[in-house]
Amino acid sequence: MVVAFLAPALILYLGLLIFPALQAFYLSLFETSGFGDTPTWVGIGNYTRLLSDPIFWGALRNMSMIMVVGGVATFGLAFLFTMLLNSGLRGKKLFRALIFLPNIIAVVAITTFWSFVFMPRYGLLTSVLKALGLTSLASISWTAPENVFFAMMVGLVWISAGFYTILILAGADKVPTDMYEAARLEGASTFQIFRLITLPMIWDVILITLVLWSIHAIKIVEFPYAFGGPNIDQNLYTPAIYLYIMGFGQREPVYALGYSTAIGVALFFLTLVTIVLLRFVFKRERVEY
Amino acid sequence: MNKFLTLRGAKRGFSYLVVGGWSAFSVFFILWIILASLKRNRDLFGKPWSIPIDPAWGNYVKTWVNNRFGDYFLNSLIVTSVSVAALLLVSVPAAYVLSRGRFAGRQALSNFFAFGMGVPIPLLFVPLFVIMTTMRLGDSLTGLSIVYVALSIPFSIYVLEGFFASLPSELESAAIIDGCSDFQVFRHVMLPLAGPGIATVAILNFVGLWNEYQLSLVLLNSPENRTLSLGIYSLITSMQYSGGDWAGLFAGVTIVMVPTILLFIILSERMISGITMGGVK
Repeated sequence: MVVAFLAPALILYLGLLIFPALQAFYLSLFETSGFGDTPTWVGIGNYTRLLSDPIFWGALRNMSMIMVVGGVATFGLAFLFTMLLNSGLRGKKLFRALIFLPNIIAVVAITTFWSFVFMPRYGLLTSVLKALGLTSLASISWTAPENVFFAMMVGLVWISAGFYTILILAGADKVPTDMYEAARLEGASTFQIFRLITLPMIWDVILITLVLWSIHAIKIVEFPYAFGGPNIDQNLYTPAIYLYIMGFGQREPVYALGYSTAIGVALFFLTLVTIVLLRFVFKRERVEY
Repeated sequence: MNKFLTLRGAKRGFSYLVVGGWSAFSVFFILWIILASLKRNRDLFGKPWSIPIDPAWGNYVKTWVNNRFGDYFLNSLIVTSVSVAALLLVSVPAAYVLSRGRFAGRQALSNFFAFGMGVPIPLLFVPLFVIMTTMRLGDSLTGLSIVYVALSIPFSIYVLEGFFASLPSELESAAIIDGCSDFQVFRHVMLPLAGPGIATVAILNFVGLWNEYQLSLVLLNSPENRTLSLGIYSLITSMQYSGGDWAGLFAGVTIVMVPTILLFIILSERMISGITMGGVK
Protein backbone atom coordinates (compact mmCIF):
# COMPACT_ATOMS: atom_id res chain seq x y z
CA MET A 1 0.00 0.00 0.00
CA VAL A 2 2.86 2.34 0.84
CA VAL A 3 4.24 2.08 -2.68
CA ALA A 4 0.88 2.48 -4.38
CA PHE A 5 0.03 5.49 -2.24
CA LEU A 6 3.34 7.22 -2.76
CA ALA A 7 4.12 6.39 -6.37
CA PRO A 8 1.89 8.88 -8.25
CA ALA A 9 2.97 11.86 -6.16
CA LEU A 10 6.59 10.79 -6.23
CA ILE A 11 6.64 10.29 -9.99
CA LEU A 12 5.13 13.71 -10.67
CA TYR A 13 7.40 15.35 -8.12
CA LEU A 14 10.51 13.69 -9.49
CA GLY A 15 9.56 14.16 -13.12
CA LEU A 16 8.40 17.75 -13.11
CA LEU A 17 10.20 19.32 -10.17
CA ILE A 18 13.38 17.48 -9.22
CA PHE A 19 14.34 16.40 -12.73
CA PRO A 20 13.87 19.85 -14.34
CA ALA A 21 15.73 21.40 -11.41
CA LEU A 22 18.69 19.11 -12.05
CA GLN A 23 18.35 19.58 -15.79
CA ALA A 24 18.61 23.32 -15.21
CA PHE A 25 22.14 22.88 -13.86
CA TYR A 26 23.10 20.95 -16.98
CA LEU A 27 21.34 23.32 -19.40
CA SER A 28 23.07 26.31 -17.85
CA LEU A 29 26.38 25.04 -19.24
CA PHE A 30 25.18 25.37 -22.84
CA GLU A 31 24.23 28.04 -25.27
CA THR A 32 21.02 27.14 -27.02
CA SER A 33 17.85 28.63 -28.43
CA GLY A 34 16.04 25.35 -27.93
CA PHE A 35 14.62 25.11 -31.42
CA GLY A 36 16.44 22.49 -33.40
CA ASP A 37 19.89 24.00 -33.06
CA THR A 38 22.57 21.88 -31.44
CA PRO A 39 23.35 23.26 -28.01
CA THR A 40 26.90 24.59 -27.79
CA TRP A 41 28.89 23.66 -24.72
CA VAL A 42 30.10 26.84 -23.05
CA GLY A 43 31.01 25.46 -19.63
CA ILE A 44 30.81 28.21 -17.05
CA GLY A 45 30.61 30.75 -19.86
CA ASN A 46 27.06 31.76 -19.00
CA TYR A 47 28.09 32.40 -15.41
CA THR A 48 31.11 34.54 -16.27
CA ARG A 49 28.90 36.48 -18.66
CA LEU A 50 26.39 36.89 -15.85
CA LEU A 51 29.00 38.39 -13.54
CA SER A 52 29.78 41.13 -16.04
CA ASP A 53 26.19 41.81 -17.05
CA PRO A 54 25.10 45.20 -15.68
CA ILE A 55 21.41 44.36 -16.19
CA PHE A 56 21.79 41.32 -13.96
CA TRP A 57 23.51 43.39 -11.27
CA GLY A 58 20.76 45.99 -11.50
CA ALA A 59 18.21 43.22 -11.07
CA LEU A 60 20.12 41.88 -8.07
CA ARG A 61 20.11 45.35 -6.55
CA ASN A 62 16.35 45.56 -7.01
CA MET A 63 15.96 42.14 -5.45
CA SER A 64 17.99 43.22 -2.41
CA MET A 65 15.92 46.37 -2.13
CA ILE A 66 12.75 44.29 -2.09
CA MET A 67 14.25 41.91 0.44
CA VAL A 68 15.63 44.55 2.81
CA VAL A 69 13.58 47.74 2.38
CA GLY A 70 10.39 45.88 1.47
CA GLY A 71 11.14 43.42 4.27
CA VAL A 72 11.56 46.13 6.91
CA ALA A 73 8.30 47.76 5.81
CA THR A 74 6.42 44.46 5.60
CA PHE A 75 7.58 43.14 8.94
CA GLY A 76 7.24 46.53 10.59
CA LEU A 77 3.60 46.66 9.54
CA ALA A 78 3.03 43.01 10.44
CA PHE A 79 4.47 43.59 13.92
CA LEU A 80 2.36 46.70 14.34
CA PHE A 81 -0.82 44.92 13.29
CA THR A 82 -0.08 41.91 15.49
CA MET A 83 0.53 44.20 18.44
CA LEU A 84 -2.65 46.23 17.87
CA LEU A 85 -4.84 43.23 17.06
CA ASN A 86 -3.71 41.55 20.26
CA SER A 87 -4.26 44.58 22.45
CA GLY A 88 -7.86 43.57 23.04
CA LEU A 89 -9.57 45.09 20.02
CA ARG A 90 -13.05 43.98 19.14
CA GLY A 91 -13.58 42.42 15.74
CA LYS A 92 -10.07 40.96 15.61
CA LYS A 93 -11.06 38.21 13.18
CA LEU A 94 -12.78 40.61 10.81
CA PHE A 95 -9.78 42.97 10.79
CA ARG A 96 -7.42 40.05 10.30
CA ALA A 97 -9.45 38.81 7.32
CA LEU A 98 -9.58 42.27 5.73
CA ILE A 99 -5.86 42.90 6.21
CA PHE A 100 -5.16 39.53 4.60
CA LEU A 101 -7.66 40.02 1.76
CA PRO A 102 -5.30 41.24 -1.02
CA ASN A 103 -3.51 37.88 -0.83
CA ILE A 104 -6.42 35.97 -2.30
CA ILE A 105 -6.79 38.26 -5.31
CA ALA A 106 -5.07 37.67 -8.63
CA VAL A 107 -1.80 39.58 -8.90
CA VAL A 108 -2.76 41.05 -12.28
CA ALA A 109 -5.94 42.44 -10.73
CA ILE A 110 -3.96 44.13 -7.99
CA THR A 111 -1.31 45.54 -10.32
CA THR A 112 -4.01 46.95 -12.60
CA PHE A 113 -5.47 48.81 -9.66
CA TRP A 114 -2.09 50.16 -8.54
CA SER A 115 -1.26 51.17 -12.10
CA PHE A 116 -4.35 53.33 -12.05
CA VAL A 117 -3.42 54.73 -8.65
CA PHE A 118 0.02 55.79 -9.87
CA MET A 119 -1.03 56.76 -13.39
CA PRO A 120 0.38 60.13 -14.44
CA ARG A 121 -2.13 63.00 -14.58
CA TYR A 122 -5.34 60.96 -14.14
CA GLY A 123 -4.25 58.60 -11.39
CA LEU A 124 -6.03 58.29 -8.06
CA LEU A 125 -2.96 59.42 -6.14
CA THR A 126 -2.58 62.56 -8.23
CA SER A 127 -6.27 63.27 -7.80
CA VAL A 128 -6.02 62.95 -4.00
CA LEU A 129 -2.93 65.16 -3.86
CA LYS A 130 -4.63 67.78 -5.99
CA ALA A 131 -7.67 67.74 -3.72
CA LEU A 132 -5.36 68.28 -0.75
CA GLY A 133 -3.78 71.22 -2.51
CA LEU A 134 -0.37 69.57 -2.76
CA THR A 135 0.20 70.64 -6.36
CA SER A 136 3.95 70.07 -6.35
CA LEU A 137 3.51 66.46 -5.23
CA ALA A 138 0.64 66.03 -7.66
CA SER A 139 2.86 66.85 -10.60
CA ILE A 140 5.30 64.02 -9.82
CA SER A 141 5.25 61.22 -12.36
CA TRP A 142 5.12 58.12 -10.16
CA THR A 143 5.72 55.76 -13.04
CA ALA A 144 8.79 57.61 -14.32
CA PRO A 145 11.91 55.40 -14.39
CA GLU A 146 13.31 56.90 -11.17
CA ASN A 147 10.07 56.39 -9.21
CA VAL A 148 8.48 53.29 -10.69
CA PHE A 149 10.34 50.84 -8.47
CA PHE A 150 9.09 52.45 -5.29
CA ALA A 151 5.58 52.74 -6.68
CA MET A 152 5.71 48.99 -7.29
CA MET A 153 7.05 48.41 -3.79
CA VAL A 154 4.06 50.19 -2.22
CA GLY A 155 1.67 47.68 -3.76
CA LEU A 156 3.92 44.76 -2.94
CA VAL A 157 4.26 45.74 0.71
CA TRP A 158 0.51 46.29 0.89
CA ILE A 159 -0.08 42.65 -0.05
CA SER A 160 2.81 41.16 1.93
CA ALA A 161 2.00 42.99 5.16
CA GLY A 162 -1.31 41.11 5.33
CA PHE A 163 0.31 37.77 4.65
CA TYR A 164 2.98 38.10 7.32
CA THR A 165 0.51 39.56 9.80
CA ILE A 166 -1.56 36.39 9.83
CA LEU A 167 1.55 34.21 10.23
CA ILE A 168 3.02 36.25 13.08
CA LEU A 169 -0.38 36.68 14.69
CA ALA A 170 -0.90 32.92 14.63
CA GLY A 171 2.41 32.52 16.43
CA ALA A 172 1.51 35.19 18.97
CA ASP A 173 -1.83 33.50 19.64
CA LYS A 174 -0.03 30.36 20.73
CA VAL A 175 1.68 32.17 23.58
CA PRO A 176 -0.18 31.29 26.80
CA THR A 177 -2.65 34.08 27.59
CA ASP A 178 -1.81 34.11 31.30
CA MET A 179 1.58 35.57 30.36
CA TYR A 180 -0.12 38.50 28.67
CA GLU A 181 -2.53 38.92 31.54
CA ALA A 182 0.23 38.89 34.12
CA ALA A 183 2.18 41.49 32.15
CA ARG A 184 -0.89 43.66 31.71
CA LEU A 185 -1.62 43.52 35.44
CA GLU A 186 1.95 44.62 36.09
CA GLY A 187 1.18 47.65 33.94
CA ALA A 188 3.18 46.74 30.84
CA SER A 189 2.25 48.70 27.72
CA THR A 190 1.13 47.06 24.50
CA PHE A 191 4.52 47.74 22.98
CA GLN A 192 6.38 46.37 26.00
CA ILE A 193 4.28 43.22 25.97
CA PHE A 194 5.03 42.72 22.31
CA ARG A 195 8.75 43.36 22.63
CA LEU A 196 9.40 41.55 25.90
CA ILE A 197 6.94 38.66 25.72
CA THR A 198 5.54 38.02 22.26
CA LEU A 199 8.73 38.56 20.27
CA PRO A 200 11.03 36.29 22.32
CA MET A 201 8.32 33.66 22.65
CA ILE A 202 7.70 33.42 18.92
CA TRP A 203 11.31 33.74 17.83
CA ASP A 204 11.12 30.50 15.84
CA VAL A 205 8.04 31.78 14.01
CA ILE A 206 9.86 35.01 13.16
CA LEU A 207 12.76 33.01 11.77
CA ILE A 208 10.45 30.94 9.57
CA THR A 209 8.65 34.02 8.29
CA LEU A 210 11.96 35.73 7.53
CA VAL A 211 13.08 32.68 5.58
CA LEU A 212 9.76 32.66 3.71
CA TRP A 213 10.07 36.34 2.90
CA SER A 214 13.64 36.00 1.63
CA ILE A 215 12.77 33.05 -0.58
CA HIS A 216 9.82 35.02 -1.88
CA ALA A 217 11.94 38.10 -2.58
CA ILE A 218 14.59 36.06 -4.42
CA LYS A 219 12.20 34.35 -6.79
CA ILE A 220 9.69 37.15 -7.26
CA VAL A 221 8.34 37.59 -10.79
CA GLU A 222 4.62 38.16 -10.81
CA PHE A 223 4.00 41.42 -9.02
CA PRO A 224 6.76 43.60 -10.51
CA TYR A 225 6.33 41.98 -13.92
CA ALA A 226 2.60 42.62 -14.11
CA PHE A 227 3.05 46.09 -12.64
CA GLY A 228 5.58 46.89 -15.35
CA GLY A 229 3.25 45.72 -18.10
CA PRO A 230 4.44 45.26 -21.65
CA ASN A 231 7.80 46.95 -22.25
CA ILE A 232 8.57 46.66 -18.57
CA ASP A 233 11.03 49.25 -17.30
CA GLN A 234 14.47 47.85 -16.50
CA ASN A 235 14.20 49.53 -13.13
CA LEU A 236 11.61 46.89 -12.24
CA TYR A 237 13.71 43.90 -13.25
CA THR A 238 14.33 41.28 -10.62
CA PRO A 239 16.71 38.43 -11.47
CA ALA A 240 13.74 36.11 -12.03
CA ILE A 241 12.10 38.60 -14.40
CA TYR A 242 15.38 38.97 -16.26
CA LEU A 243 15.50 35.17 -16.43
CA TYR A 244 12.05 35.11 -18.00
CA ILE A 245 12.87 37.84 -20.49
CA MET A 246 16.16 36.25 -21.55
CA GLY A 247 14.37 32.94 -21.95
CA PHE A 248 11.13 33.93 -23.58
CA GLY A 249 11.34 37.65 -24.27
CA GLN A 250 8.51 40.11 -24.34
CA ARG A 251 7.72 41.52 -27.76
CA GLU A 252 10.71 40.04 -29.52
CA PRO A 253 11.70 36.61 -28.30
CA VAL A 254 15.27 36.26 -27.06
CA TYR A 255 15.53 32.49 -26.47
CA ALA A 256 18.88 32.61 -24.70
CA LEU A 257 17.81 29.48 -22.88
CA GLY A 258 21.19 28.53 -21.45
CA TYR A 259 21.85 32.00 -20.14
CA SER A 260 18.35 32.24 -18.74
CA THR A 261 18.78 28.97 -16.89
CA ALA A 262 22.10 30.09 -15.45
CA ILE A 263 20.22 32.93 -13.78
CA GLY A 264 17.87 30.31 -12.31
CA VAL A 265 20.78 28.35 -10.90
CA ALA A 266 22.16 31.55 -9.40
CA LEU A 267 18.77 32.10 -7.76
CA PHE A 268 18.83 28.60 -6.35
CA PHE A 269 22.21 29.19 -4.69
CA LEU A 270 21.13 32.60 -3.48
CA THR A 271 18.17 30.92 -1.79
CA LEU A 272 20.41 28.35 -0.12
CA VAL A 273 22.94 30.91 1.10
CA THR A 274 20.21 33.19 2.42
CA ILE A 275 18.52 30.41 4.37
CA VAL A 276 21.80 29.29 5.93
CA LEU A 277 22.78 32.88 6.77
CA LEU A 278 19.42 33.66 8.35
CA ARG A 279 19.54 30.51 10.43
CA PHE A 280 23.03 31.42 11.56
CA VAL A 281 22.32 35.06 12.36
CA PHE A 282 19.03 34.41 14.10
CA LYS A 283 20.13 31.36 15.99
CA ARG A 284 19.00 31.73 19.54
CA GLU A 285 18.04 29.40 22.25
CA ARG A 286 14.44 28.40 21.84
CA VAL A 287 12.12 29.58 24.53
CA GLU A 288 10.14 26.73 26.01
CA TYR A 289 6.62 27.26 27.14
CA MET B 1 -7.86 57.59 37.33
CA ASN B 2 -9.84 59.64 34.89
CA LYS B 3 -6.73 60.77 33.10
CA PHE B 4 -5.58 57.17 32.94
CA LEU B 5 -8.85 56.17 31.33
CA THR B 6 -8.73 58.85 28.65
CA LEU B 7 -5.15 57.87 27.83
CA ARG B 8 -6.27 54.29 27.41
CA GLY B 9 -9.18 55.50 25.36
CA ALA B 10 -6.87 57.47 23.11
CA LYS B 11 -4.61 54.47 22.66
CA ARG B 12 -7.52 52.26 21.87
CA GLY B 13 -8.80 54.84 19.40
CA PHE B 14 -5.40 54.88 17.73
CA SER B 15 -5.46 51.09 17.42
CA TYR B 16 -8.86 51.13 15.80
CA LEU B 17 -7.79 53.94 13.51
CA VAL B 18 -4.70 52.14 12.22
CA VAL B 19 -6.15 48.65 11.93
CA GLY B 20 -9.54 49.91 10.79
CA GLY B 21 -8.03 52.27 8.25
CA TRP B 22 -5.89 49.57 6.72
CA SER B 23 -8.85 47.18 6.62
CA ALA B 24 -11.07 49.84 5.10
CA PHE B 25 -8.57 50.27 2.30
CA SER B 26 -9.04 46.59 1.35
CA VAL B 27 -12.76 47.17 1.08
CA PHE B 28 -12.23 50.41 -0.82
CA PHE B 29 -9.89 48.62 -3.23
CA ILE B 30 -12.58 46.10 -4.19
CA LEU B 31 -15.48 48.54 -4.30
CA TRP B 32 -13.53 51.05 -6.37
CA ILE B 33 -12.65 48.40 -8.97
CA ILE B 34 -16.24 47.23 -9.21
CA LEU B 35 -17.50 50.81 -9.57
CA ALA B 36 -14.78 51.56 -12.14
CA SER B 37 -15.91 48.56 -14.16
CA LEU B 38 -19.38 50.10 -14.45
CA LYS B 39 -18.30 53.54 -15.63
CA ARG B 40 -17.80 55.03 -19.02
CA ASN B 41 -14.17 55.72 -19.76
CA ARG B 42 -14.78 59.46 -19.85
CA ASP B 43 -16.13 59.36 -16.29
CA LEU B 44 -13.47 56.95 -15.07
CA PHE B 45 -10.82 59.51 -15.95
CA GLY B 46 -12.79 62.68 -15.32
CA LYS B 47 -14.54 61.68 -12.10
CA PRO B 48 -12.61 58.72 -10.62
CA TRP B 49 -14.41 59.03 -7.28
CA SER B 50 -17.96 59.23 -8.60
CA ILE B 51 -20.55 56.49 -8.33
CA PRO B 52 -21.94 55.39 -11.68
CA ILE B 53 -25.65 56.22 -11.44
CA ASP B 54 -26.27 54.80 -14.86
CA PRO B 55 -24.10 51.63 -14.84
CA ALA B 56 -22.41 50.81 -18.11
CA TRP B 57 -23.14 47.08 -18.16
CA GLY B 58 -21.95 47.14 -21.73
CA ASN B 59 -18.38 47.00 -20.39
CA TYR B 60 -19.04 43.46 -19.23
CA VAL B 61 -20.65 42.40 -22.47
CA LYS B 62 -17.70 43.77 -24.38
CA THR B 63 -15.14 42.11 -22.11
CA TRP B 64 -16.97 38.81 -21.81
CA VAL B 65 -17.82 38.44 -25.50
CA ASN B 66 -15.59 40.62 -27.68
CA ASN B 67 -12.48 40.27 -25.55
CA ARG B 68 -13.27 36.58 -25.01
CA PHE B 69 -13.22 36.65 -21.22
CA GLY B 70 -16.03 34.10 -21.30
CA ASP B 71 -13.61 31.62 -22.88
CA TYR B 72 -10.82 32.60 -20.50
CA PHE B 73 -13.14 32.15 -17.54
CA LEU B 74 -13.96 28.66 -18.69
CA ASN B 75 -10.27 27.89 -19.25
CA SER B 76 -9.40 29.11 -15.76
CA LEU B 77 -12.25 27.17 -14.20
CA ILE B 78 -11.35 23.92 -15.97
CA VAL B 79 -7.61 24.12 -15.42
CA THR B 80 -8.02 25.05 -11.77
CA SER B 81 -10.70 22.46 -10.92
CA VAL B 82 -9.03 19.60 -12.77
CA SER B 83 -5.66 20.43 -11.24
CA VAL B 84 -7.01 20.60 -7.71
CA ALA B 85 -8.91 17.31 -8.10
CA ALA B 86 -5.85 15.54 -9.51
CA LEU B 87 -3.65 17.11 -6.87
CA LEU B 88 -5.82 15.74 -4.06
CA LEU B 89 -5.92 12.34 -5.72
CA VAL B 90 -2.13 12.03 -5.65
CA SER B 91 -1.19 13.99 -2.53
CA VAL B 92 -3.77 12.80 0.00
CA PRO B 93 -2.69 9.13 -0.13
CA ALA B 94 0.97 10.14 -0.19
CA ALA B 95 0.59 12.43 2.81
CA TYR B 96 -1.31 9.68 4.62
CA VAL B 97 1.43 7.07 4.40
CA LEU B 98 4.13 9.68 4.99
CA SER B 99 2.45 10.74 8.18
CA ARG B 100 1.08 7.47 9.56
CA GLY B 101 2.86 4.68 7.75
CA ARG B 102 5.68 2.71 9.27
CA PHE B 103 8.47 2.09 6.83
CA ALA B 104 12.18 2.78 6.54
CA GLY B 105 13.06 6.21 5.19
CA ARG B 106 9.67 7.73 5.90
CA GLN B 107 11.07 10.87 7.50
CA ALA B 108 13.72 11.23 4.80
CA LEU B 109 11.09 10.99 2.08
CA SER B 110 8.90 13.49 3.87
CA ASN B 111 11.82 15.93 4.03
CA PHE B 112 12.57 15.25 0.39
CA PHE B 113 9.06 16.36 -0.57
CA ALA B 114 9.30 19.43 1.67
CA PHE B 115 12.55 20.39 -0.08
CA GLY B 116 10.46 21.16 -3.17
CA MET B 117 9.00 24.20 -1.42
CA GLY B 118 12.44 25.80 -1.42
CA VAL B 119 13.11 25.36 -5.15
CA PRO B 120 12.58 28.72 -6.86
CA ILE B 121 10.01 28.16 -9.58
CA PRO B 122 11.76 30.43 -12.13
CA LEU B 123 14.63 27.90 -12.10
CA LEU B 124 12.18 25.49 -13.75
CA PHE B 125 10.87 27.85 -16.44
CA VAL B 126 13.17 26.75 -19.25
CA PRO B 127 13.42 23.05 -18.35
CA LEU B 128 9.65 22.75 -17.98
CA PHE B 129 9.12 24.55 -21.27
CA VAL B 130 11.53 22.11 -22.98
CA ILE B 131 10.00 19.03 -21.30
CA MET B 132 6.46 20.05 -22.13
CA THR B 133 7.35 20.81 -25.73
CA THR B 134 9.08 17.44 -26.19
CA MET B 135 6.12 15.66 -24.64
CA ARG B 136 3.86 17.54 -27.06
CA LEU B 137 2.11 19.14 -24.11
CA GLY B 138 3.46 22.60 -24.76
CA ASP B 139 0.88 25.36 -25.15
CA SER B 140 -1.92 23.18 -23.81
CA LEU B 141 -4.15 23.37 -20.78
CA THR B 142 -3.50 19.69 -20.09
CA GLY B 143 0.23 20.34 -19.89
CA LEU B 144 -0.33 23.33 -17.65
CA SER B 145 -2.54 21.27 -15.33
CA ILE B 146 0.07 18.55 -15.00
CA VAL B 147 2.71 21.11 -14.10
CA TYR B 148 0.35 22.77 -11.62
CA VAL B 149 -0.24 19.43 -9.90
CA ALA B 150 3.45 18.55 -9.72
CA LEU B 151 4.51 21.93 -8.35
CA SER B 152 1.69 22.04 -5.79
CA ILE B 153 2.60 18.66 -4.34
CA PRO B 154 5.25 19.78 -1.78
CA PHE B 155 3.06 22.37 -0.02
CA SER B 156 -0.05 20.16 -0.14
CA ILE B 157 1.70 17.11 1.25
CA TYR B 158 3.32 19.24 3.94
CA VAL B 159 0.01 20.64 5.16
CA LEU B 160 -1.88 17.34 4.79
CA GLU B 161 0.77 15.48 6.78
CA GLY B 162 0.07 17.87 9.61
CA PHE B 163 -3.65 17.09 9.45
CA PHE B 164 -3.15 13.33 9.38
CA ALA B 165 -0.64 13.46 12.21
CA SER B 166 -3.15 15.30 14.39
CA LEU B 167 -5.78 12.54 14.12
CA PRO B 168 -6.19 10.23 17.14
CA SER B 169 -4.72 6.76 16.73
CA GLU B 170 -7.38 5.00 18.88
CA LEU B 171 -9.87 4.80 16.03
CA GLU B 172 -7.19 3.41 13.77
CA SER B 173 -6.33 0.63 16.23
CA ALA B 174 -10.00 -0.14 16.85
CA ALA B 175 -10.60 -0.52 13.13
CA ILE B 176 -7.63 -2.84 12.76
CA ILE B 177 -8.83 -4.97 15.68
CA ASP B 178 -12.24 -5.14 13.97
CA GLY B 179 -10.50 -6.62 10.97
CA CYS B 180 -10.19 -3.68 8.62
CA SER B 181 -7.47 -3.88 6.03
CA ASP B 182 -4.94 -1.05 5.80
CA PHE B 183 -6.81 0.34 2.84
CA GLN B 184 -10.17 0.14 4.62
CA VAL B 185 -8.72 1.99 7.58
CA PHE B 186 -7.63 4.75 5.24
CA ARG B 187 -10.81 4.82 3.19
CA HIS B 188 -13.43 4.50 5.94
CA VAL B 189 -11.75 5.86 9.06
CA MET B 190 -8.94 8.29 8.35
CA LEU B 191 -10.19 9.89 5.14
CA PRO B 192 -13.51 11.08 6.62
CA LEU B 193 -11.70 12.36 9.70
CA ALA B 194 -9.25 14.30 7.56
CA GLY B 195 -12.10 15.81 5.53
CA PRO B 196 -11.78 19.35 6.87
CA GLY B 197 -8.04 19.31 6.31
CA ILE B 198 -8.42 18.06 2.77
CA ALA B 199 -11.03 20.73 2.08
CA THR B 200 -8.66 23.39 3.37
CA VAL B 201 -5.86 22.21 1.09
CA ALA B 202 -8.30 22.09 -1.83
CA ILE B 203 -9.47 25.68 -1.27
CA LEU B 204 -5.97 27.07 -0.80
CA ASN B 205 -4.77 25.42 -4.00
CA PHE B 206 -7.88 26.48 -5.87
CA VAL B 207 -7.30 30.12 -5.00
CA GLY B 208 -3.57 29.86 -5.64
CA LEU B 209 -3.96 28.25 -9.05
CA TRP B 210 -6.87 30.46 -10.05
CA ASN B 211 -4.59 33.45 -9.52
CA GLU B 212 -1.41 31.84 -10.85
CA TYR B 213 0.14 33.41 -13.86
CA GLN B 214 3.91 33.04 -14.19
CA LEU B 215 3.80 29.40 -15.26
CA SER B 216 0.90 29.96 -17.62
CA LEU B 217 2.85 32.85 -19.11
CA VAL B 218 5.75 30.48 -19.79
CA LEU B 219 3.79 27.45 -20.92
CA LEU B 220 0.82 28.87 -22.84
CA ASN B 221 0.96 30.74 -26.09
CA SER B 222 -2.25 30.56 -28.13
CA PRO B 223 -4.96 33.14 -27.40
CA GLU B 224 -7.61 30.41 -27.12
CA ASN B 225 -5.72 28.80 -24.23
CA ARG B 226 -5.48 31.91 -22.10
CA THR B 227 -6.52 31.85 -18.49
CA LEU B 228 -8.15 34.93 -16.96
CA SER B 229 -4.88 36.33 -15.63
CA LEU B 230 -3.26 35.95 -19.05
CA GLY B 231 -6.36 37.49 -20.61
CA ILE B 232 -5.96 40.60 -18.47
CA TYR B 233 -2.28 40.80 -19.22
CA SER B 234 -2.88 40.54 -22.97
CA LEU B 235 -5.67 43.11 -22.74
CA ILE B 236 -3.20 45.52 -21.15
CA THR B 237 -0.75 44.76 -23.95
CA SER B 238 -3.33 45.43 -26.65
CA MET B 239 -4.44 48.64 -24.95
CA GLN B 240 -1.08 50.10 -25.82
CA TYR B 241 -2.15 50.15 -29.44
CA SER B 242 -5.88 50.61 -29.29
CA GLY B 243 -6.00 53.32 -26.63
CA GLY B 244 -7.02 52.67 -23.09
CA ASP B 245 -10.36 51.02 -22.47
CA TRP B 246 -9.68 51.02 -18.75
CA ALA B 247 -13.33 50.50 -17.82
CA GLY B 248 -13.40 47.30 -19.87
CA LEU B 249 -10.13 46.26 -18.25
CA PHE B 250 -11.63 46.75 -14.79
CA ALA B 251 -14.59 44.63 -15.86
CA GLY B 252 -12.05 41.88 -16.63
CA VAL B 253 -10.36 42.49 -13.27
CA THR B 254 -13.72 42.14 -11.52
CA ILE B 255 -14.38 38.88 -13.33
CA VAL B 256 -11.08 37.39 -12.15
CA MET B 257 -11.39 38.55 -8.55
CA VAL B 258 -15.05 37.94 -7.72
CA PRO B 259 -14.84 34.11 -7.43
CA THR B 260 -11.95 34.15 -4.96
CA ILE B 261 -13.53 36.98 -2.97
CA LEU B 262 -16.76 34.99 -2.66
CA LEU B 263 -14.80 31.95 -1.51
CA PHE B 264 -12.96 34.12 0.98
CA ILE B 265 -16.17 35.61 2.38
CA ILE B 266 -17.51 32.12 3.10
CA LEU B 267 -14.26 30.42 4.08
CA SER B 268 -11.81 33.06 5.33
CA GLU B 269 -11.32 31.41 8.72
CA ARG B 270 -10.50 28.08 7.18
CA MET B 271 -8.16 29.58 4.58
CA ILE B 272 -6.26 31.64 7.12
CA SER B 273 -5.90 28.73 9.52
CA GLY B 274 -4.69 26.52 6.67
CA ILE B 275 -2.00 28.99 5.68
CA THR B 276 -0.83 29.59 9.21
CA MET B 277 -0.70 25.83 9.75
CA GLY B 278 1.57 25.48 6.75
CA GLY B 279 3.78 28.35 7.79
CA VAL B 280 3.91 28.15 11.54
CA LYS B 281 3.76 24.52 12.45
